Amino acid sequence: MSTVAEHEYQAKDYKSDLKPIWCPSCGDFGVVSAIYKALARIGRPPHEIAFVSGIGCSSRIPGYTTAYGFNTVHGRALPIAQGIKLANPDLLVLVAGGDGDGFSIGGGHVPHAIRRNVDLTYILMDNQIYGLTKGQLSPTSPRGLKTASSSYGSLEQPVNPLLYVLSYGAGFVAQGTPADMAGLADIIEEGIRYPGFAFINVQSPCVTFGQEEQQLRVHKQKMQSLKDLGHDPTDRLKAMGLAQEYGTSLHTGVFYRNPEPAASFESAVKELQQRLRPEARLRVDVLKSFQAK
Amino acid sequence: MRNDLVIGMAGSGGDGIISAGESLMTAMAVEGYHAIMSKSFGSQIRGGESSCRLRISTDPVRSLGGTLDVAVALNWEDFLRFGSELPVTGRTVVIYDANTKVPPDKIPLTEVRPAVAIPVPIQETARQHAGTDKAKNTVVLGLLAGWFGLAPEGVLAGIRKKFSKKGEQVLRGNEQAFAAGLEFAAAHPLALDVVIAPAKPATGKTLLLDGNEMCAAAAVFSGCDFFGGYPITPSSEIMHFLSKELWKHGGTVLQAEDEIAGIGAAVGASFAGKKAMTATSGPGMSLKTEMLGLASIAELPLVCVNVQRGGPSTGIPTKSEQSDLFQAIFSAHGDAVRPVLAPTSVHDTFRMTVEAFNIAEEYQTPVILLSDQEIAQRKETVPAINTSAFHVVSRRLPTRSELEHYVRFRLTDSGVSPISYPGMKGGNYLASGIEHNEKGAPTASGDIHARMNEKRIRKLMPLKHRRDLFDIEGDLHAPLAMISWGSLAGVATEALERAREEGMRVKLLVPKLLYPIANEIFRDFFTGVKAGLVVEQSYQGQLYRVLRMYVDVPRGMQSVARSGANPVLTEEIVARLRQLTLDLQRGRVPEPEPQLG
Repeated sequence: MSTVAEHEYQAKDYKSDLKPIWCPSCGDFGVVSAIYKALARIGRPPHEIAFVSGIGCSSRIPGYTTAYGFNTVHGRALPIAQGIKLANPDLLVLVAGGDGDGFSIGGGHVPHAIRRNVDLTYILMDNQIYGLTKGQLSPTSPRGLKTASSSYGSLEQPVNPLLYVLSYGAGFVAQGTPADMAGLADIIEEGIRYPGFAFINVQSPCVTFGQEEQQLRVHKQKMQSLKDLGHDPTDRLKAMGLAQEYGTSLHTGVFYRNPEPAASFESAVKELQQRLRPEARLRVDVLKSFQAK
Repeated sequence: MRNDLVIGMAGSGGDGIISAGESLMTAMAVEGYHAIMSKSFGSQIRGGESSCRLRISTDPVRSLGGTLDVAVALNWEDFLRFGSELPVTGRTVVIYDANTKVPPDKIPLTEVRPAVAIPVPIQETARQHAGTDKAKNTVVLGLLAGWFGLAPEGVLAGIRKKFSKKGEQVLRGNEQAFAAGLEFAAAHPLALDVVIAPAKPATGKTLLLDGNEMCAAAAVFSGCDFFGGYPITPSSEIMHFLSKELWKHGGTVLQAEDEIAGIGAAVGASFAGKKAMTATSGPGMSLKTEMLGLASIAELPLVCVNVQRGGPSTGIPTKSEQSDLFQAIFSAHGDAVRPVLAPTSVHDTFRMTVEAFNIAEEYQTPVILLSDQEIAQRKETVPAINTSAFHVVSRRLPTRSELEHYVRFRLTDSGVSPISYPGMKGGNYLASGIEHNEKGAPTASGDIHARMNEKRIRKLMPLKHRRDLFDIEGDLHAPLAMISWGSLAGVATEALERAREEGMRVKLLVPKLLYPIANEIFRDFFTGVKAGLVVEQSYQGQLYRVLRMYVDVPRGMQSVARSGANPVLTEEIVARLRQLTLDLQRGRVPEPEPQLG
């Protein structure tokens, strides 16, 4: 994040004219508002931001911002976002999607984005259900949940997104809810400022197909700030302990922030490019190394 | 004296057969000969059998050649495993290791007696002079250089260069092993005219490389700045070369976690404004298909190389086939047209790769470069390419005034709309796999969908008039025609030359643009054609069938199609042409053969 803001940006500068297709009171309205706020505080002009998503209700989100958006295919936002960031490391690259997009069809990409440590901020809108396709089981649905595709209750254990990314070594892991808008904007801002792969799980309820106990009014009673609990966000093992409570407790705030962030993939790329630049022939001379001798 | 020599050699993994072939090829290339070499391996990771075919000629060569003029067997078991890849005839000189204890009249080849079979104490000579079996291939080089006049001094210089780093003893041993091979040949002259004629004076520096290297080098030349891929046989060498080279030019190579992520990262890099590429083979293509659709609808330039191998599924990963044409053309869901280009040789791979990038950038589309294992992994002598004669195209960016009210997917006359990239002020837009209006906003309107489909397909139509992507040779008014593509085009070209030498009236069309189908070019070519052959390497005859779907193909055109890993020989094609010529002389138009599938 090198550029200094040319002028002050306000949240509305990041809001596009497109009208969201989301159901009234969808949690994602809160998420996009928190993103506008966080971006205004960061202050990068919209054209220097690339916002990538997969497929799902929440993946419509890039279109509701004034950034360069890319609403891609189901589950593949992370590889595409990495390509963008590697092609132009000066961009601020955001990734968003739902729990199915990120941890079911796209689950295989998450560990690799983490281990490469490309400087992306991945905002997962976790509602424990497939909303766009009208209410099927998601990878984070609790065991026993009855859905359109699990008529007698889910027979599977859910994925724990927080523990998953912590186990693979993500440098920044946080959780928020639109029930706490100020806190949500704070962790998104912090995630963007973190120099490396940042993961933010947002408990963003589906008002149409979601469970009763996942709605915002329940969040308001249930949520528990990690800061208030006295959690030290530099303690990865404690963070993992707290993350185990995913599905029962609703912790908000930063679970883990690596106090000594590892070098990002793109900085290693830049170093390599600079080291090898003196060896470059002109592109028109590329065949010379194949001359028979 | 002869102008052309085809040598086939086989041995166990440790015998260094391929290394010998490469040494010989390099020496001959430096002398000014033209050469093509292919390698073939058993399925083992290490060890196991390996073979190579090397064709050396005083004139440019277009194919690996047909039957062998010289066969070298370090042991018979390994040689025989390669079956039809190393075809011996009554004109072949067979050289084999005497330690196999096989008498020359009992060599284990069924239904064929070679011109001569010579047992040579190869292993014994290697042990005696170099003290190791490892020098067996050096003895073979001496034999070949001696008997066939293959640049003994050049080969020796190559041996010196190769072994000088390995210490005085190894160097001396190999020099002596080579000399012993030469002496054996001198002491046992062949009663046949097999010595190759002197090379014609070369006109410039010769390049020596395989198709994958050529493809990767051409990508660098074309301005490729990003490669995303996943290892797969037989395309990995493209990634290998780029992983050495691309960083130097400020580019990036990402070995992704899977095929989908590889092409995904390339799509992302293209969105970010860079020229991007991915490469794979059949199974990887299947996985990349969804992402190709995204590039089509989001109108992003992308080059996707498919080095075809035997399929379906894992198939035969190390052998060539042309059976992914249907997939290249038809595997998209929705109405997506993707240009498909196929190179015909290592040399041609340069131009086709540059074209692939140019077409991708100009028309904002994914382009499939459909290579095949034979071209990709065979080494060829290529005359120096004047790269500065090639034009490099970049995508059309919006002008300042277009950025004032930027409309990313504007319906223009050409169908191509100026494309911005993140970082460009005023160019902000939403790219998406979902159908969108001119501004990029998602829509479910059937009207807009139809207009956008029309735009995305219309913009590619100028390609149908690219006559420079079609080679036509032979008698243009001939009643007899051939069509062939990819590596098989080389065999067809040589068959054409042979047939014309025999006085047949025949012509050949080699399409390098396989999709969209250039109807007019095919129509013109078929004018006056009564019979002919579509020559390709797939069981179903995929090009033949695609042509029948789109073009009014004369009834007398027949399919000569064969599953991969089985060579199609020039002789066979010429024989078919002779038969067709007779048929036409007798006033018979042959019927297309019924096929399975």
